Amino acid sequence: MKFKKILMAGAVAITAAGALSTSVLAASNTLTVADRSSYKDWNPAVAFSEEVRVLGNIYETLLVLNPAGSAEQFAPGLATSWSASADGKTWTFNLRKGVTFHDGSAFNAAAAKKSLDYVKKLGKGAAFIWGALTSVEAKDEHTLVMNFKSATAADLIASAQYAAYIIAPAAIDKGHDWMSAPNAIGTGPYKLASVEAGQQIVMEKHDAYWGGWKDGQFDRVIVKVVSEAATRVQMLKSGAVDYATVGTDQLAGLKAASNVDVFTADSWKNSMFLMNASKYPTDNVKFRKAMQLIWDYENVVTSIYGGYAKLPVGPLPASMWGAAKFDMPKQDLAAAKQLLADSGVPQKDWKVSMQYIGDFKPYADSAELFQATASQLGVTVDLMPGKWGVIWGKAKKLETSPNLQSMSWWPSYATPNDWLVSLFKTEKKALFNLSHYSNPAYDKLVEEGMAVEGSDRPMAIAKFGAAQKIIMDDALAIFYGDISTYRVSAKNVAGMSKNLNPAYEAVMYYSLTRK
Amino acid sequence: MARYAAQRLLLMIGILLGVLTITFILSRVLPGSPVELMLGHRPTPELIEATKKELGLDQPLIIQYFTYIGEVVQGEFGKSLRTGRPVLEEVGKRIGATLELTTLAIFFVVLIGVPLGVISAVRQNSILDNGLRATTIAGMAFPAFMLAMMLQMLFYGELGWLPLQGRLDSEVLLDSTFPRHTGFFLLDTLMTGDWRAFGSAAQHIVLPALTLVIITLATVTRITRNMMVEVLSEEFIRTASAYGLPSRRIHYGYALKATLIPLLTVVGLTYGYLLGGAVVVEFVFDWPGLGGFMVFSISQNDFPAVMGTTLFLATAYLMINLVVDLLYFVVDPRLRAQ
Repeated sequence: MKFKKILMAGAVAITAAGALSTSVLAASNTLTVADRSSYKDWNPAVAFSEEVRVLGNIYETLLVLNPAGSAEQFAPGLATSWSASADGKTWTFNLRKGVTFHDGSAFNAAAAKKSLDYVKKLGKGAAFIWGALTSVEAKDEHTLVMNFKSATAADLIASAQYAAYIIAPAAIDKGHDWMSAPNAIGTGPYKLASVEAGQQIVMEKHDAYWGGWKDGQFDRVIVKVVSEAATRVQMLKSGAVDYATVGTDQLAGLKAASNVDVFTADSWKNSMFLMNASKYPTDNVKFRKAMQLIWDYENVVTSIYGGYAKLPVGPLPASMWGAAKFDMPKQDLAAAKQLLADSGVPQKDWKVSMQYIGDFKPYADSAELFQATASQLGVTVDLMPGKWGVIWGKAKKLETSPNLQSMSWWPSYATPNDWLVSLFKTEKKALFNLSHYSNPAYDKLVEEGMAVEGSDRPMAIAKFGAAQKIIMDDALAIFYGDISTYRVSAKNVAGMSKNLNPAYEAVMYYSLTRK
Repeated sequence: MARYAAQRLLLMIGILLGVLTITFILSRVLPGSPVELMLGHRPTPELIEATKKELGLDQPLIIQYFTYIGEVVQGEFGKSLRTGRPVLEEVGKRIGATLELTTLAIFFVVLIGVPLGVISAVRQNSILDNGLRATTIAGMAFPAFMLAMMLQMLFYGELGWLPLQGRLDSEVLLDSTFPRHTGFFLLDTLMTGDWRAFGSAAQHIVLPALTLVIITLATVTRITRNMMVEVLSEEFIRTASAYGLPSRRIHYGYALKATLIPLLTVVGLTYGYLLGGAVVVEFVFDWPGLGGFMVFSISQNDFPAVMGTTLFLATAYLMINLVVDLLYFVVDPRLRAQ
C-alpha cells in the first residue's frame, strides 16, 4: 500500500510540475520549428549544408535572388544597388546605410571586405564560388568593389546561400572555433540566443534590424531537433510546432490534416541515376540508352514521389536558367530490348550494379521498381543500398564503383555550371563525376560557357545548351525527376507561401506572422 | 579482494586497448573519406591535402595508430570532424543523458522484474506464471523502434499525458539555470529545488525509460524465476518451511539471496546492453545522449568521435562488470573467505 501511495504521489507531482512548465510556453510570441538534425558548421564561411536553414536568418547576403518570374532578378540585400564593368571583371556594390551587426557595430564596406577576404582565405565549404575573385576594395564607407580575374556573374555569387554571408568583424577576430562553439554575429533579423546540443536552437529578434519590426512578427524562434520524421509530423498535427521539415511520403497525410497548410513549388533540385561510362557493360552507349528506356518515369514521379516531382526536360531542372529542353526518354521495353541486342553486349553479361542511399525511401523504391522491370528483359540488377559516406567512397574509385549511382543535385549558387562541372566534367580523381566520364569537347564547351557567364549570358546559355546535348546523346544518366520544394506549416502561421524560392533552403522567419 | 580488483583493472586496460585497435582498424578500412565529407563538393586538391595533413591522415596507418594511442593515454581524444569540438567535450555533454536514462531504466527493471520473477517461481506453472511469461517475452520481442513509436502515439497522440521527445520543455531549457553537476537532470533539479525543471525532466524521461524497461524486463524476470525455482526445491528451503517460517521471509530472505550471484551478473550485463543498445530509443525520443551522437558520427565517417564514444561506452561497460564482480564478494561470504 505504501508503495502504491508513493507511486501515486510521484505521478501527481510530475503531472503538476509538467503542467507548470508547459503553461509558460504559450505565453510568448514564439515560433516553434521541428527540424531533422542538429547542424554541423556554425561558421558561415564553412557552412555548406542544412545549417543554412538557421544561418540564413542570422546572416545576410549583399543581394537576394528573386524567384523565376519576378519583375527583377535580384532584390537588394545589404547592397542597395550594384553595377558591373563592361568586361564583367569589376563589380561595384553600394551598401545599405544604417545597418548594424548584432553586437551593435556598424556594417560598412570595411566590414564586408573583411568578411569576403576571410571566406576566400579560409577556402572551405563553398568558398570555391569566389574562385575568380582577386581583390576586394572598400572604396569608401558604403562602396565595395570586387575585382575578378575573368568575367564573373558576381550578382549571382553575392546572392548565394553558401559562402556569401557577411560576418561581423568581431566574429572573424574571435575565429573559427568561437563561431563553431557555436556563436554568431550577423546583421540578420534574428540573433543566436542559445544552443542546447541535440535539443534546440533559440533565436531572438534583432531589435535594431534595418527592416524594422511589425506587429505579429515573431520575437523568438525555437528550432527543436527532432530526428524522426513521424515525430515531427505528430508535433505539427498536434500544434506543438508551427513548422516542420518532413519527407514527401508524409505530405499526403499532412494535406488531409485540418490544421496544416502544404505549399509546393518548383525547385532547383533534380534526381538521377548516374551511369558509369567507364565500367562494363554501361561503358556501352547503347546499353546505357537501354537502361534509360527500362526506367518507369511516370510511375516513379506520380507514385513513389507522390506527385512532388515533375518529369525532367533535360539534365538540369526546368526552372534553372540555361536548362535546355530535350525529347526525354520514356519507358519503352521493346525498344530497350532491341538496344540491348544491338549493343553487342552478350546476354550473359546483362548485369548491372545499382548503388543508392538505402535509408532514402524514394531511391530504394525506385531501384526496386527498376530491378523488377529490368528482370522482364533478362537484365539482372544487383541492388547495393548503403550510407552516403560509404557508397560515395566506393563510387569514386572506378574499381569499386557501381554501374548506376543515385544522385540528387542542387547548386551552390544560381548557375547551370554547378551540374555541368561537378557531375560530368573530367576529373583526374573522381569526386562527383561518378559516371567516370571524360570528353574534351564537353569540357571545352563548359569552360567557354563559364568564361562568359558574367558578361554574355546568351552565349553562356548556348555553350551550356550544347554541353547538355552531349550529356543526352551520351546517355550519362537516367534523369527521372525535377524535385518539388515544399513547406508544411500550421494554418495559424501566415507568410509561408513567400518562402518557396528555390535559391534558398531557409525559411525566412522574418516573413512569417501569427494569424 | 583488493588484489582481485587490481588484476581486473589491468585486464580492463588490455581489453580497452583491443577495443581501440579494432575500432581504429574498422574506421580506416571503411570506404569513404572523412575529409571529403567534411569539405563538401568541389574542394581543391590542395585543400584536401592540407586537411589530410592537419588531421594526420597523410601519415602511414601504423604511425596514425600509435599517434592516436599516445594521445588517448594523455587524455586527448582529438576533435570531432563533424562538429569541430573536442571529442571529450562532446561525450561529456551527452554521457549524463545516457547514464540517467539507462540507470533509471535498470533501476525499474530490477524493482519490477525481480518481484515478478519471485512471484512466477512461487506460483510456478499457474495462470499468473504463464501470463507473466507471455507478457514479458512479448515486450522483449517487440522491436524497440516500433514500441517507442506506439508509446508516443498512445501517451502523446491519444492521451496527451506525456511529451513526445527531448529532455526538457523548450521554455524550461531556456529559463532554467540549474547547475548541471551530475548531468542527471532529475538529480540536478532536485538538488537545486527547481521543481518546474524537475517536473519537465521527469515527464520527458518516462517514455524512453519505459521503452527500455519493457524490452529488457523479460531477461531479469525469467532469470529470477528460473533461479528461484531451482533454489525453492532445495533442502534448506524445505527445512525453513518445516520450521513454519513465514513464506515472505523464506522467499525474499533466503531463496532470493541464494540467487543473487547469477542475478547480479544478468543485471550487470543488461545495464551494459542498455548503455550501448539505447541508441534506437535515444534516436526516436531525441534524447540527447551518446546514441544519437554515435549515429550521426558513423554516418559522417567522423572516426575520432566514433572511436572516442566507443571507448567511453566500453569503459562504462567494463566498469559495470567490475562493480558486479566486486559485489560478488559482498553477497557471498565464501568468496571473501577464499
